[in-house]
Amino acid sequence: MKKLLFSFLAISLSLTSIIASGSKEVESSKESDGPIKVSMYYSDNATLPFKSDWLSINSAAEDSNLDIEWEIIPIADYSTKVSLALNTGTNAPDVILYQTTKGENANLALNGALVPISDYSDWTPNFNKMVEKFNMSEEVDQLQLKDGKRYYMPSLTDVPFYDGGLILREDLLDEYGLDAPKTFDDLYNVLKVFKENNPDSYPLTILAGPRVLYRMTMPSFGISVGKNSSSGTNTLSWDYTNKNYFEGAISEGYKEYITYFHKLYEEGLLDPEMAEPIDGDRWSQKLATGKSMASYAYYDQIGGLEAASNIEGYKLQMYPSLEGPAGAHHQPKSKTGSGIMFPIKTAQRDDFEQIVRAVDNMFFSEENSKAFCLGEEGVTYTTNSDGSITFTEKIVNAKEGIYKYLQLEYGCGSDVTQMVWVNQREMTKYDENYSAINKVVEDMGDVIQYIPPTPNFDDMQSEEAGMLQTPLSDTFERWNDAFLTGAKDINADWDEYVSTMKKLGIEKFCDLYNENL
Amino acid sequence: MKTYKTRSTVLFDIIVNLFMIFTIISCLVPFIYIFALSLSSPEAIINNEVFFLPKGLNFEAYKSIFTYPNFFNAYKNTLIYTILGTLISLFLIVLFAYPLSKTYLKGNKVFMKIVVFSMFFTGGLIPNYLLISYLHLTNTRWAMLIPFAINPFNLILMINFFKSISNEIEEAALIDGLNYFGILWKIILPLSQAGLATVGLYTAVFFWNDWFNGLIYLKSSQFPVMLFLRNIVNGTSMVGDAAGAVDKATIGISIKGAVIIVTTLPIIAIYPFLQKYFVKGVMIGSVKG
Repeated sequence: MKKLLFSFLAISLSLTSIIASGSKEVESSKESDGPIKVSMYYSDNATLPFKSDWLSINSAAEDSNLDIEWEIIPIADYSTKVSLALNTGTNAPDVILYQTTKGENANLALNGALVPISDYSDWTPNFNKMVEKFNMSEEVDQLQLKDGKRYYMPSLTDVPFYDGGLILREDLLDEYGLDAPKTFDDLYNVLKVFKENNPDSYPLTILAGPRVLYRMTMPSFGISVGKNSSSGTNTLSWDYTNKNYFEGAISEGYKEYITYFHKLYEEGLLDPEMAEPIDGDRWSQKLATGKSMASYAYYDQIGGLEAASNIEGYKLQMYPSLEGPAGAHHQPKSKTGSGIMFPIKTAQRDDFEQIVRAVDNMFFSEENSKAFCLGEEGVTYTTNSDGSITFTEKIVNAKEGIYKYLQLEYGCGSDVTQMVWVNQREMTKYDENYSAINKVVEDMGDVIQYIPPTPNFDDMQSEEAGMLQTPLSDTFERWNDAFLTGAKDINADWDEYVSTMKKLGIEKFCDLYNENL
Repeated sequence: MKTYKTRSTVLFDIIVNLFMIFTIISCLVPFIYIFALSLSSPEAIINNEVFFLPKGLNFEAYKSIFTYPNFFNAYKNTLIYTILGTLISLFLIVLFAYPLSKTYLKGNKVFMKIVVFSMFFTGGLIPNYLLISYLHLTNTRWAMLIPFAINPFNLILMINFFKSISNEIEEAALIDGLNYFGILWKIILPLSQAGLATVGLYTAVFFWNDWFNGLIYLKSSQFPVMLFLRNIVNGTSMVGDAAGAVDKATIGISIKGAVIIVTTLPIIAIYPFLQKYFVKGVMIGSVKG
C-alpha cells in the first residue's frame, strides 16, 4: 500500500509539473514598439485543418504588424464557444472571425456585447474601398441592425459562384443519345430513360438531405420557403418583382413544385432514401456503383467520384440551372458572407484603433486579400506579361487539384480568413470545365439572385415571429413529406392544407415580415 | 460436488451460450467493420466492397490523422486529464464517502441531502461558466480536473460500498491500536478494490470521453482528443440549413474509422485489466462467528 501511495504521489507530481509548464504563457504587458498582440477565434474545419505556419496568414499578419494568438475551435462547436464568450464577456478574444449578426448575435450586439464597427469606418479604409470597388454599399448597409449600426465586417464577393447544381452522368447521356436537360421537363425525360435502362436504380439522389435539392430547385419555381439560407422565414418566400414576402408554402408555385417532384417520386425516379440525410460516403457509393445517375450536389465533390468508380467511361458533369415556371434560377446567394467582429472588451484596450486598422489591413487590403486567394508572388505563382498568372509546377501538378492544394499547404481560399472573393481570380484555381460552366451561368443573367432581406424585429416582434414560425414550419414539413410521397393527394387535400396553414397564422406571419422590412 | 445434467439444464446452457454469442457478435461487428474501413482504400469503400476484411489494405488514413496538426498534443492532453482526473477524483471521493458511510456521525443527513440535491439541480451552463471563470480556472487544465472531481452518483456508490464492509473489522482494528486514517488506509481501502475499480473506471471513462467542458473552458492548445474526434466524425454534418458551404465538405470514411479506432481503443483496453477486481469476493471469510 505504501508503494501505491508513493507511485500516486510521483504520478501526480510529474503530471502537475507538466500542467504547470503548459500554462506558463504569461500575458506580456503591452509593448508599444513590437507587433500588436491580439487573440483571434478561428473556426476550424476538419477537411482543412488549420496550420499555424500557413503562408497566407503569416505574411498578412506580418504586413499588418500583428502578432496573433490563434484560438482554433472546431466548426461544430464554434457557435457555442462564441456565444459563451460574448454572453459572459469574460475570456472573450480580441477578434472573432467567421460570424454574422443573425440570430442570437443580433441580440448580443444590441445589448452591447459587440463593437458597432460602422461607427469606426474612418479606421477601416481598406474595407470601405473594397465595398466601393464592388459597388456593394447597399448590400453592406442591409447588414445594419435595428439601431442603424453594423456590428461586423462581412466578407465580400463581386459575383457569386455557381458552385453546385444538377450533376449528371454525361457518359449515359451520350450512350442513350440524349441532350443535356434545359428545363425540368427535360430532366424528367432524361431520368425516365435512365430508369427504363436500369430498372432497379433510383436515378436522382441527393447529397446531405432534401434541403440541398429544395434550395437548388425551388427558385426556378419562384419559391424558397426558407431553404435558401435566409434564416427564419421557413414558410415564406420572397417576391423578386414586387420586393416583398408572400406565403410561399401555400402558393401556386409551391403546388406546381411539389406536383412535379411527387411525379418523380411516384415513378421511382427520385431516391426515397433522401428523406434521411444521405451522408457523403453513401452518396458517393450510390453514384459510383451506378445505383443513381444524377444528383443535386456541389462541383467539388464529383472529382473524387470519377477517379474512384469502377464503371468504364464514367463521367459526371455539372449543368446550369434548369428552367422552371419562374425562369432558371439557382439557390440565391448573398454577396456578403460571414466576417469579422470585435467583442466590446477589445474597445477598452488602449491600442483599439491600431487593432482595427491592422485587422482592416490584414484582411481587406488589395495586396493581402490577393494573398489570401493566390498566395505570394514568386512562391506560389508568377504573373505573366499579359497580367494572367501561372501557378508553380508543384501546385499545378498536385493530385488534390490547385484549389485544394493551395488551401491545405498555404491556407489560401479558407472561408474563415479570405474576406475578398473576386470571381475571375478564383476561377484561375479551378479546371477549365468549371470556369466554362460559371461563364455560361453568368451569361444567362440573374440565375443567382440575392438573398432576401432580413426584417428588423425588436425583442417582442421576434418572439411573436418565433411563436408563429415553429408550428407553421413543422406543419409545412409534415404536409410536404405527405404530398411528396403521396400520403396526401395534392389536388384533393390542398384546400385542407391551405386552411390549416391559414389557421396557424401564415398570413399574420407574412405581414409581420413585410411590415418590418 | 457432482453436477447432474438433465435435459432442461442442457437446453438452458444452449440458450445462454447462444445469447452470449449473439451479444458478443453484436458488440464486435461494428468495431471490426470500422477497423476494416480504416484500413481499406477509398475506392473499395466507395464501391461498397468492404465487409469484415480490409480491401486494398493501406495505412493512409492512419498516416493522415497522425499528420494532423495537434493530434498528438490533444492525445497527450486526454491522457493527462484521464490519469490525473481519476486519481484526484478517487482521492476526494474516498475522503468524502468514508465519513458519510458512518450514519451515526452528526450532520451526516445534511451532507447527504446536499449531495443528492446537486444530482438533480445544477446552475446551468452560463452560471457554471461564470463561476469557473471567477475562480480563475478557465484556460487552465485544472478547469477539466477540479470541478468534476466528485460525481454524486459515484460518491453514493462508494458510500454504499463502504457501508457493506462489516463494522466488526473496523472495531478489531481500533482495538489493535489503529487510528481512523490508519483504518481507512490499511483496512478499508484494501477491502474496497472492487468499489475503487468500479468508480475509477467510471471516472476514467468520463474524463476520456469529455469534450464539452474542454471546449468551453480551455484554450485550443489544451483541447482533449475527443474534440478532435468529434470535429472529424461530426464536424461536417452538424450545421443545419444555414450553411451551404458545410454541405460541401466531406471527409473520407476511412479517416473517420481510423480516428474512432485510435481514440477509443486505449480506454477499451483498460477493461480486461480491471475485470479481476470486479469478480473477486474480497470479503469472504473476513468475519467469523
